[in-house]
Amino acid sequence: MANENAFSVEDFLNAITTQLDRVQDALRLKAVNRPLTYALKDLQLELKVFVDLDATGNVRFRPAGPNEAGASSVQLAFTTITRPMIEENTISLASTRSAPLGELGLSGEEQQRLERVGVRNLAQLNALNATAGAKTISRLSDVSLDRLRTALSSGQPNIRVVKPPAPPVQPPPQTMPPRSMPPPSRPPRGQFGLPGRPSPAVDVRPGGDRGQTPERPILRVGPDARRLAIISSDIDSAARPEVRLNDEPLTIAVSAGDEIQVELPQSHTGGTLEVRLDDGRVYSYGLAVDRDEDIRTTDSDGWAPIGDDE
Amino acid sequence: MWRPLSDTLLSLIGAVSQESTPDLVITEADIQIPLELSATVHRGQLMILGSAPHSRWKAGFLPQTHPTRLSIRLLDE
Repeated sequence: MANENAFSVEDFLNAITTQLDRVQDALRLKAVNRPLTYALKDLQLELKVFVDLDATGNVRFRPAGPNEAGASSVQLAFTTITRPMIEENTISLASTRSAPLGELGLSGEEQQRLERVGVRNLAQLNALNATAGAKTISRLSDVSLDRLRTALSSGQPNIRVVKPPAPPVQPPPQTMPPRSMPPPSRPPRGQFGLPGRPSPAVDVRPGGDRGQTPERPILRVGPDARRLAIISSDIDSAARPEVRLNDEPLTIAVSAGDEIQVELPQSHTGGTLEVRLDDGRVYSYGLAVDRDEDIRTTDSDGWAPIGDDE
Repeated sequence: MWRPLSDTLLSLIGAVSQESTPDLVITEADIQIPLELSATVHRGQLMILGSAPHSRWKAGFLPQTHPTRLSIRLLDE
């Protein structure tokens, strides 16, 4: 039965480390004006506490009161460690970015059971699944196999957005019409029409899937676009997707967190862009290039009357 | 009077470091002292309070003391 004055072990330890951080920070400030600099090397506490267990199974400490007998003695030791030691003994920051178990549809009790076998997020669950299998995880953690499989499938990596990366600020091109003139309405030219009117994606592969659904997303890029940004979710750094344009692999230029940027070929004319994940899923897009001559041929003379064909 | 544990530790460290003179420099210190420890919620956060004991005599109404060992060292320039 938990007592109101009891605190969880995690909160207790965090509060002590906060106090120790304040001591270290104050000593650092003191060193600015004083010739001698001292640092806290280590701290050992022998706590007289009563150990409680709350309804959810969390361990809680309650400090012993005056003249209260029967308290447990808990020895805590804190010491300073270097950054390499931190990196050796803690999980990588990249793995902490993975979706927590709560977002996978698992209940609080199921999350606690998985935490007891060292699984706190999707990345760790996937790693353990790859090594031990879902059945073993289910047996050791006492979480039903169906629930585990549901969590694993709901946490599969997905491609969220594919778009040109944010372009640098550039002066507007001189071919743009004066702002006082409304842009003329022109029909799209060829298959790569002007923005505002979707065109069907073009599959330039010989014998390709010309029966591909017209609902495939169309990505429009400028003629000077040299890269595409692909933003995904729940993809770890070891499982980067493969990106192909017209079946030719594209080079990954930047890989940071959930975003990768791929290099577009110099003289590409668009086509079918495919993003292939490790599990075999393929995200397909139509890549269209909006060429400057399309704009120029329709707006060669910014002062031409609207509706005047060239 | 209850004080944050960090204030008590800084007072202890300051008392030792002030003893250094040009002829005598303290390079390390190991301090063992019983502390009265408590925890309270301050601005929504748990805060550990620690102070020197009220008295060296045991009494039925004074808080428990918790043996504490503190090590400090002089940092090289």
